[in-house]
Amino acid sequence: MAAITASVNAGGGLADHIHPEPQGFFRKYVFSIDHKIIGIQYMITAFLFMILGGMLAELIRVQLMKASGGIMTPDTYNEVYSVHGSTMVWLVIIPLLTGGFGNLIFPVQIGARDVAFPWLNMLSFWLFPPAGLMLYASFLMGAPTAGWTEYPPMSLQGAAGTSMWAAAIFLIGVSSTMTGINFLVTILKMRAPGMTFTRMPLFVWGQFVTAPLLMIATTALGAALAALFVQRQFGVAFFDPTRGGSPLLWQHMFWFYSHPAVYIMILPAFGIISEVLPTFSRKPIFGYKMIAFSSCAIAILGFMVWAHHMFTSGLAPALQLPFMVLTMLIAIPTGIKIFSWVATLWGGVIRMTTSMMFALGFLATFTLGGITGVFLAAVPFDLHVHGTYFIVAHLHYVLVGGSLMGVLAGLFYWYPKMTGRLMNEKLGHWAFWLFFIGFNGTFLPMHWLGIWGQPRRVAVYDPQFQGWNQVASWFSFVMTAALVLVLFNALWSIRRGKKSGPNPWNARTLEWQIPSPMPYYNFKHVPSVFAAPYDFAEPLPYKGLEEELKGGPPPVPAAH
Amino acid sequence: MPENRDPVVHLDRGFWIATTVMSVLALLAIVFWVEVPITGLMPEAVDKAQQIDALFRFLAATGTALWIFVCGFILYFALKFRRHAGTPENAVGVQIHDNNKLEMWWTIIPTVFVIVMAFFSIKIWAGIEFAPNNTLVVEALGRQWYYTFRYPNVNGEVKEMHLPLGQAVTLQVSSYDVIHSFWIPAMRLKADMVPGMINTLEFTPTRAGKYEIICTEFCGTFHGEMHSGTNQNPAYVYIDTPAQYSAWYARTQRQQATASNAISVPSTSQLNLAGGDAKAGAAVFSAKCSACHAIGPFDQRIVGPGLKGVLYDPAHPDLVNGQKATPENVAKILQNGFKGSLGQMPNQAQNGLTNKDIVNLVAYLKTLK
Repeated sequence: MAAITASVNAGGGLADHIHPEPQGFFRKYVFSIDHKIIGIQYMITAFLFMILGGMLAELIRVQLMKASGGIMTPDTYNEVYSVHGSTMVWLVIIPLLTGGFGNLIFPVQIGARDVAFPWLNMLSFWLFPPAGLMLYASFLMGAPTAGWTEYPPMSLQGAAGTSMWAAAIFLIGVSSTMTGINFLVTILKMRAPGMTFTRMPLFVWGQFVTAPLLMIATTALGAALAALFVQRQFGVAFFDPTRGGSPLLWQHMFWFYSHPAVYIMILPAFGIISEVLPTFSRKPIFGYKMIAFSSCAIAILGFMVWAHHMFTSGLAPALQLPFMVLTMLIAIPTGIKIFSWVATLWGGVIRMTTSMMFALGFLATFTLGGITGVFLAAVPFDLHVHGTYFIVAHLHYVLVGGSLMGVLAGLFYWYPKMTGRLMNEKLGHWAFWLFFIGFNGTFLPMHWLGIWGQPRRVAVYDPQFQGWNQVASWFSFVMTAALVLVLFNALWSIRRGKKSGPNPWNARTLEWQIPSPMPYYNFKHVPSVFAAPYDFAEPLPYKGLEEELKGGPPPVPAAH
Repeated sequence: MPENRDPVVHLDRGFWIATTVMSVLALLAIVFWVEVPITGLMPEAVDKAQQIDALFRFLAATGTALWIFVCGFILYFALKFRRHAGTPENAVGVQIHDNNKLEMWWTIIPTVFVIVMAFFSIKIWAGIEFAPNNTLVVEALGRQWYYTFRYPNVNGEVKEMHLPLGQAVTLQVSSYDVIHSFWIPAMRLKADMVPGMINTLEFTPTRAGKYEIICTEFCGTFHGEMHSGTNQNPAYVYIDTPAQYSAWYARTQRQQATASNAISVPSTSQLNLAGGDAKAGAAVFSAKCSACHAIGPFDQRIVGPGLKGVLYDPAHPDLVNGQKATPENVAKILQNGFKGSLGQMPNQAQNGLTNKDIVNLVAYLKTLK
């Protein structure tokens, strides 16, 4: 047990640079520079876009109830699934996990009073709603039709909205990059005294390895989007093979971003799961160092495997081989994580809260998505199922069964830290079971639909697949009902939820040691840390928190 | 040491019973994947399909077994260690942080698994990528929203794909407009049709019949109809017996000879290369040649070399076939096509060029100094 090496008030970055809390609705809730408010702003905006994206998803499932299509023309259908995919990736999952939960929680977990660049943080949030509105405005001029991947030359044929799409995603990319810089600097420079890397909660580790991905990968996407925009608007032949361009150039640049983006969408969720499991098992997380280390390994390997999305594109065999093997290697750190999480349960005192149930659901479904991911790494099998519903199934098992389940676990877990109240557990249990059943019923059949021959991105399909498509559609309504229930629960609990007190789960990380909702500037005195967070049988590993729960005066602004 | 620490929990009888149940289930899953008749749903129409199915069975069996263990332990632990009504508020679980031996094992086991899987995959992959020579070369071309095919010594493009049973085939796929993807589920094989690129699939048909071709890369409004189902232009590959194939081939050759883009192939000496129209040649170039050739320096390759200064470039006094860069020799390549280290170019008939086109093209290439 390390000795306390710093005095209570040292470090913590903003400790000597405090402004009084701004008053007035606009200064306090709209143009706020408080990381917690910005986190909540991200979440509310992302949930609003999730409603839109979810409605598009249901349109897709209604269209696919019948083999001959039904409610939409092929062109409308193409617009709908393209905007659905773009929304869910860029306007929902990434903002929720990085801008949303990241902003809300990790600065408190490392004992900081804000992020390193609060104004940059506000700016990166305020790029997000306009970008989302631009994406939806593209419906007015012909939305993009070539899927969220927008491969040229197809995307060059798309209506004017495709350029709008490129501009909107570019804005989101700028916002992501700024968030990444902000988070990285915050974690590197603003940890409380004694908060060494091996004492950081695992959610902070999740954000820490995600931040460089946001910074580095998003740059490649920005370049690709700029090239697409310039080709569409000014005719520069980046992707036009008849004039010396290359259609595959886009695929390389796009996947150099979008493969790491898969980890941007899952590593923070891993972090959430790593908080929820020990708290509700009342046990230290098993293999803390291995979980943190495997996150780093996944992030690094994530940059080396982008071309596994291009095995059928005409990649030279000499390139297929290393990309195949490197992709398979990711199974090792991921396996280590999953085994460690399962081992965390062993010998625990497990409390089945809604949050815990979503975390366990995550383990089951994400594991399945990970396993099919390993299948796809094997080139010969990928040659068969690439571009089919098998991919749709795999992708949703990772992004919905993984990332979104993580988000829901995090929502139920940290809701008290936002509102001071608990979400309703009974409704939560209902929502979990509806979601779990609805999700698996929707996406499990898509595995065999793909293997048997249903291609993705089609408005009509062979009649022999109609049965399973109907099953998927009916279950998708169940899943939607579950999400509506969660939304209702969240809104209802703002006013009616049970008062939570500061630490309803008996959790041990720093955010639970201060009042709920968390006060402006988080801590009255920046705490010192002298041990890792998850030893439930030990006293809390923090010094200097005596004042936090006593009410009393807010921190005194320093003169400057 | 704090007082409220639980006694250490051991791997008791319940644990081993649960593990046994999971092992049995996993074994059943493996048997299922080894025995399940995939071919009832999906015939294996080519030699490589069997290998790919074998790989799939291996992956599915091991994957399902692993998944059963993960979910089984989650379920077992969640039930067994569930907090009971009487449990004190501050009760804690077993405070173990890690176990080097255990962690080492679950690093080693997946690593071994990955090595085995990579070994199988690479073996099957090598058989797919590096196939026999001396095969029938068929070209498949994607358009919005149908396929056409070219056969050696058949004039123009045909709409049906026929392959002889038991004969090794090299399928070269490309596209005229956007990226399509050529998938025959019964063959388990797929290649993207990328404009300006030729991708190849090599296989030997082993089962006669009629199989669906499906486009799996989004290619525009009617992408969903670019397969057999409801389409106006149903796409099938017919695998014929050699006799049937020969009959079809001879019939097609006859029919195509009188097709609208039919041309006779005179010797180069019969072409009057003087008096070509460079402007008309430029139009032909952008329609027929520019998918593979850039008008840039020799090194600016798309599929074939860049053609700027093809008749004047001092760095390349010879054409790719080793002959001197003269208008006559260029015309010969245009007529006869070319196959070599720099790729493959269709001949006059396959490219649908008239004699006049060739004369105009040569005149146009002359202007590219």
